[in-house]
Formats: sequence, structure tokens, C-alpha cells
Amino acid sequence: MAGPTPVVDARGLTIAHTRTPVVHEFDLSVGPAETVALLGPSGSGKSSLLAAVAGFVRPIAGELRIGGRLVDGPGVAVPPEDRSVGVVFQNDALWPHLNVLETVIYPIRRRGIGRANAEREAREVLERLGIAHLASRRPAQLSGGEQQRTGLARALARDAVVYLLDEPTAHLDTALKATWQQELADQVRRLGAAVIFATHDVAEALSIADRVAIVRDGRRIQFGTPLEVYERPVDAWSARLTGAASVVSATTDGVLAAGGPAQVVVRPDWAGLDGDLPGRVIAAWFRGSHTDVELDTPFGSVVIRTLGAPTVAVGDVVTWHLRQSWPLRPTPGPIGTMNQYYG
Amino acid sequence: MGVAGRDRSAGSGRVPGRALGMLVTSAAFAALVAYPLARLTGTLGDLGPEAITRALAGAGGRAVLTSIGLGVVVAVLVVVIGTTTALIGERASSRGRWLVRAGMVGPLFVPPFVAALGWAAAYGPRGLTDRWLGISLPGTYGLPGVITVLTVEAVPLAYLIVAAALAGRAEPDLERAARASGATSLDALRTVTLPLLRRPILGSGVLAFIMTLNAFGVPAVLGIPGGVSTITTRLYQDLAFSADPASFDRAVVLALILVAIAFVTVTASDRLLGGHSSPRTAVTSSGPATPGRRSTVAVAAVMVGVIATAAVPFVALILVALTRAVGLPPTPENWTLANFAEVLDPRILGALARSVGLALAAATIVTVLGGIVVAVGRRAGRVLGGVASIGFAVPGSTLALAVLIGYGGALRDTLLIILIVYLGKFWALGHRPIAGSVDRLPNDLLRAARASGARPRDVFRSIVLPLLRPAIIGAWLIVFLFGLHEVTMSSLLYGPGTDTLAVVTLNVQQLGDPTITAALAVALGLVVGVGAIPVLLVRRAIDRPPGRE
Repeated sequence: MAGPTPVVDARGLTIAHTRTPVVHEFDLSVGPAETVALLGPSGSGKSSLLAAVAGFVRPIAGELRIGGRLVDGPGVAVPPEDRSVGVVFQNDALWPHLNVLETVIYPIRRRGIGRANAEREAREVLERLGIAHLASRRPAQLSGGEQQRTGLARALARDAVVYLLDEPTAHLDTALKATWQQELADQVRRLGAAVIFATHDVAEALSIADRVAIVRDGRRIQFGTPLEVYERPVDAWSARLTGAASVVSATTDGVLAAGGPAQVVVRPDWAGLDGDLPGRVIAAWFRGSHTDVELDTPFGSVVIRTLGAPTVAVGDVVTWHLRQSWPLRPTPGPIGTMNQYYG
Repeated sequence: MGVAGRDRSAGSGRVPGRALGMLVTSAAFAALVAYPLARLTGTLGDLGPEAITRALAGAGGRAVLTSIGLGVVVAVLVVVIGTTTALIGERASSRGRWLVRAGMVGPLFVPPFVAALGWAAAYGPRGLTDRWLGISLPGTYGLPGVITVLTVEAVPLAYLIVAAALAGRAEPDLERAARASGATSLDALRTVTLPLLRRPILGSGVLAFIMTLNAFGVPAVLGIPGGVSTITTRLYQDLAFSADPASFDRAVVLALILVAIAFVTVTASDRLLGGHSSPRTAVTSSGPATPGRRSTVAVAAVMVGVIATAAVPFVALILVALTRAVGLPPTPENWTLANFAEVLDPRILGALARSVGLALAAATIVTVLGGIVVAVGRRAGRVLGGVASIGFAVPGSTLALAVLIGYGGALRDTLLIILIVYLGKFWALGHRPIAGSVDRLPNDLLRAARASGARPRDVFRSIVLPLLRPAIIGAWLIVFLFGLHEVTMSSLLYGPGTDTLAVVTLNVQQLGDPTITAALAVALGLVVGVGAIPVLLVRRAIDRPPGRE
């Protein structure tokens, strides 16, 4: 990648827990003001990768640069406090013995700023996150959302060159999750700093990140813009990881063909009812704003998204059309290790 | 049955077990603890307030000051060493952590009194290092020795308390958050880790103080020969070796001062620590940070400490026990089993039989008493737990003197009087594991049984009892173990023909025969060690929540 020096530059990073490698030769570069999502199922090594960037675990091989400076490599291991990273922990990791203000002052003081100035700066951060009124509360007296904000405030107060967010919304309930995702996106944009966040939530990754790295079994299997990973998945597994997807048979040129030698991915929004292709409705799931209709077709089963309430019933013989599809490379390993998955 | 029928929503009717259970418990508490303590207090009332001034003049007052000073010094040492060890152990690699844990838990099974004998045999005058290298630690018999062995005995408990707090917290993440905020590792220790450990650290200090205050075996073995008297050993000397009524009066005053200091300390620390609830952050940690070379060195240092303070003394005891005569170097050509043959003397075998018999009886009765909690249900069970723990909280010397005053008239010099004091003291040890297990019994398991058509009695037999079995066995074994090596209370209550193995060992030691003492101590240690093996096995089963294998 041309352009300015990446803020985070990992080359061949390999991480092991008690001698078992969990991340293999991982390459990652994050530009200034860029937000990168690490998207993968739990246990895929995303958190280990973040822990390595933060300096909590030492990679067994590879090199890591932050802000152009070598922080991990042969004979080099810079401790976390000297790395200029801000970390938002999966479960907030708020110190139970410090109140909100003290928590946010903590990293500022460690930048060598005097007590009074640190407090002023901390109050500004709290103000920005709308939690200034909670300054004297302890973590036990905060709601889940307030704890999240405090955790973010502490990271922001670090004034770092890169922010690491580990599953920032994983343990929130659905309602809180939506608002927090939006807020997080706003704050991240306002920062102008580099951000790496780990998530297993596709919508979160696609909506917040500039680029998405797809992680599977500790390896990076794809790295691209949200549109790229959505429209051009490298295999069936990542197609299903990045959203609902049907895999149907086709010719090697990507034309649908019953029993064809190749396969293509069809997203529910890439096809529609009515057209020249035959099918029979085997299921219809009403989801409020839209309905997912599953068709049995000569090429395999296909899910099609239609707006509003169902217009067809199970058993109906219908026709459909295809607007877009993406040819698949054969997946390493058995196809369908992950069950068909509808987002 | 209480637990099986306690749940009203499951449709149980009246609970006949509860009333009976509370009745038995109240009667037991009155007989074992309340009545003797009332008599002890009453005795002081009869003596009048001037008895206190009289008792505290001279040796009595000195003993009180010695006990308090000793307690403070040991508590400080224990807190520093225990916390450091816990931090080292919990940060080490998994093998290092296992080593530190094993090294800390092992010494818990050496009776304090045997540890004191071992310490003298290893480092004292004419001990192992003296015979081989001509070096002995100054003051082995005296304050330095007492302080060292009491510290060695209490460090594992402080370690367990602090290590549990460390493991139960989001330690790595909270510390990582500090590091990511720019704190150095030392800074993170000072600003995050230690403040969060304030409660367990202070708690273990208080525990060490109380243990030291109540300790008898160690100051008896190492203090009395060196002219150092604590409250407990002064009390023992006053009761065992003096026919002077003034000595008895002083013992009564000292016994009450002992319980008063314990009470004030515990109340003050509860106030200071703000009750028992501690804010727990239920956070899963993301694994320990990678331990470095420094951690390996620290673990090695801990292991050297454990070997020097716990393993060497025990080996020294064995070597001394094997050596033909006092003064000979403990080398193979001087080895003999003759000293062990002396242990087979009928008088000592009798004492061994009494030790085992008392421990068996105490363990069985205490388990039944503790099991009552199952019949009364959880809420009443908590009250019961408070009642049971009173006896445990009263220092053994005080409780023994109280029982002597309460029942001495009819039962003096019988095994029954020793059994009574064991029951009062160890009741809580039997109650806790069983009550804990009952508390963790998932309600839904019992509801599922009821919903499957089982009647309360049936639920008790088919679900409750099998799930409580490890706790019941564990309770029995722990009381059995404590009964086997008990010396504080039995040394005050034994009479002709009712001495236990521990008491015989203490008496032989006071007469100054190191080889026979060592042989007896080894025998005692082995008996307790054999008893400890099933405890370790069952312990694992208790720690597992019931219903999950």
C-alpha cells in the first residue's frame, strides 16, 4: 500500500498461548485516521491480536511497528505503557476502587501532566461523552451504558496514536448495542486517530470500519473495504460470515446451471421474485421490514429478500431473477462447516 | 425435610424437621458453648474486679503484652510474605503457579506443634545444622523462634486469601488497563493491584493476629523453654503445674482477656473493612500476561523458602528420630529404629488410641450436628451457622477452661470432657462445608425432581443426599484431622489415663528428650498426613458446584 507511513504495521505476527499458536503470520497495516475491523467468530484469534498490538502478550515471531517505531521484533519488546495505545476492554475493566473522574485522570497523569490540568482535561473528555455528571461515581454505581462510556473515556484520555477496541458491544443487549455502535462510530470519526476493533458482528464491522480484515483460525483470509468483503467474498465461509448468502451451482463462467461444476454466491438482495428462473417456495420468514423467502431451485436453495410482508406461501411455484452474483473459489476444507446463516 | 421441602412453590407442606433441628441445635449450643462460657464469666464475677489487677501484675501482664506484641509482629510479617507470594504465584506460568500452590498448601497439613518441634530439630541447638555445620539459629527457643514458626504457619492462609482474591478478579484486564493508560508495572501494582487487594490483605493480617493470639503449640514448644510466656502458655502453666489458687484465678482472668482481645480485634476490623461484602467485578479475564524470567526467579525463591521452612524441619525430625543418641550426627551409621520402638510402648499406644477415638467421635457427632442444616433449610441454616461459629471464634484455651469450670465437677479427668470441648470448638468446621454445599444446591434440581413426581422425602434421598455426599465426607475428615493433632484444649483438660498422643508428645518435649520427642512427632505427623490424603481428594469434589461433574 502506497501513501503515508501506516500507524500500525504488523508483518508476519505469530502469537502463541502456552506454545499453541493462535495467530499465524498475520499482516496488518492501518493508516492514519483509518478504522479497521477484525471480523471473525469467537476463538479466531482477534483478541490475541489486539493484546499483541497493545503489548500485553509478546508475539513469538514477526515484527510490529506503531507510529513507525519497532515495538515488537527480534530483541525488541516495548511495554504497553510506552506504546501510545488506548484500549477499550471487552468488559470495560473499570477499576472498582476509583470513581469515573479518577479513572479518566489516571492515563492523563501518566502522560506527565499535573494534577489540576489533568482534572480539567478529564472533565472535558467526560463532557464530550456526556457523562460529566457521573464524575464522582464508582463503577458499581454505573449502568452498563455508563460503564461503557467510562471505559471509552479512559481510552480517549490516553491521547494515543491507535485505539484498540475489543468486542466493544459484545455483551450489550440489542437496544443498547444499536445506540452504542452509533456513538462509537461518531467518537471514532471525531478522533482522527487509527482504530482497530475486534468484532463478530457483521453489521458493526461493515458500518463502522474503513477496511475489514476477516480472521479465521488465526489467519487473515481477506482484507478489504466493507463493500469488497461483502460483494467479493474469497470463499463460502467468509461469504456466510459477512452476511446472509446462498451458494448455488453454476458454470465456470458464473452462469447458473443445475449440477454445474462451479459455485456462485447469491446475497438475498441480489435476487428478486418474478423472472425467468424457476423455483418453489420452501419457507418464508417474515422479519418486519422485509421477508426472506427460501426457494428450492434446480441450482440449489436460494434465499431472496422481498420488502414488507410475505406475498407468497410455502409450496407456491414461482419465478425469480438474478441481478448479481459472485463466483467462488473452492473453500479449503469441507463446504458448509458453518451452517447456512441468515443475517 | 428442609432442603427438599423448603421451596414452597414446589408445594411442600409443613416441615417437621425444622422444629426438631432448631431444638437439637439450641440444646447443643447451650450445653457446649453457652453454659461453660457463662460459668467462666460467673467465676470472674465471684473473684471480683481486684482479681484482674492481681492477675495482671507481674507474669500475667507480661504474658498479655507478649501475646499482643507477638501477634502484631507476626501479622505484619505474614501480610508482607503472604501477599508477595500470592502475587508471585498467580503471575507465574501455569507450572510455577502449581508449584507455589502446592508449596503453600502442603504445610497446612503439618500441625503447628509438630512444625515447632521440626524447626527446633532442624535449626535449634543440637539440631541438624548444628550437628553438621556447627551453626544454629540464635533464639530458636525464645521469641525469634516463636515468631518464625508462627509466621511460617500463617503465611499459607494469607497466601490462600490473597491468591483467591487475585484469581477472582478481572486482574489481568484491570492491570492491563493501567498499563495501556501509561502505568509501569510497578505503578500498576501500587495504584491498581494493591488497592484492590486491601480487604484480603487486611483480612489476612487480622487472621494472622488472631491465630497468633490463640496459638498454643508453637509458644509451648519454643517459648516455654526459652522463658517466653504468652497468654495461652501462661494459662497452661498456671493450670497444669500449679496448685496455688491464685494461679487458677489468674488463668480465669487471662482466658477472658484472651477472648476479649479476639472479640475487639474482629469487631474493629469488621468496622474498618466495612462488613463482608466486597464489590466483585464479574469479569472473565483474558488469560495471564506472559510471565518472564523474573517470574521464574521469584518462583524459585518461594520454593527455597518453602523447603527451608517446611520441608527441612520435617526431614530433620525424621533424622533426629532415627538417630541413636542425643549428640550423635544423624548419619546412617548412627541410625536406629529403637526410638520408634519406644513409641510402641503400651502407654503411648493407649494415647494414640485415645487420640484416634476422640477424633472419630468428634468428627461423627459434629457431622451430624452440621447436617442439621439440611433439615432446617437455608434461612434458618444461616442463623445456625452463626451459632456454630461462636464456639470456633472463642480461643481454644478459653473454651477449655470454661468447659473445665462448667463440667469439671462431674467429668474431670474423663475423655468425655475433652470430647465436649472438641464438639464446641469444631462444630463450625462440620457446619460450613455442608451449609456451603446446601447453599449452592441449584433450586431447579429439586424442583425438577418434584416435577418428575418425587415426594420431598424421596427428593432428599435421591437428589439432596447424593449431591451433599462430598461435603459431608469432607466435613467429617476435617474435624477428624483437627481432632487428631489438637493440643491446646486437651493439654488443659487431660488427666491420669486420658492423655492424647499430642499431649504425650508435648510432655515428653517439656521433659527435654529430643529423640523420643522427634519419634513421637513423626508418628503424629504421619497419622495426620495419612488422614490428610482423603481430605485433599474430597476437597476437590467439594469445590466443584453440586450437580456438575
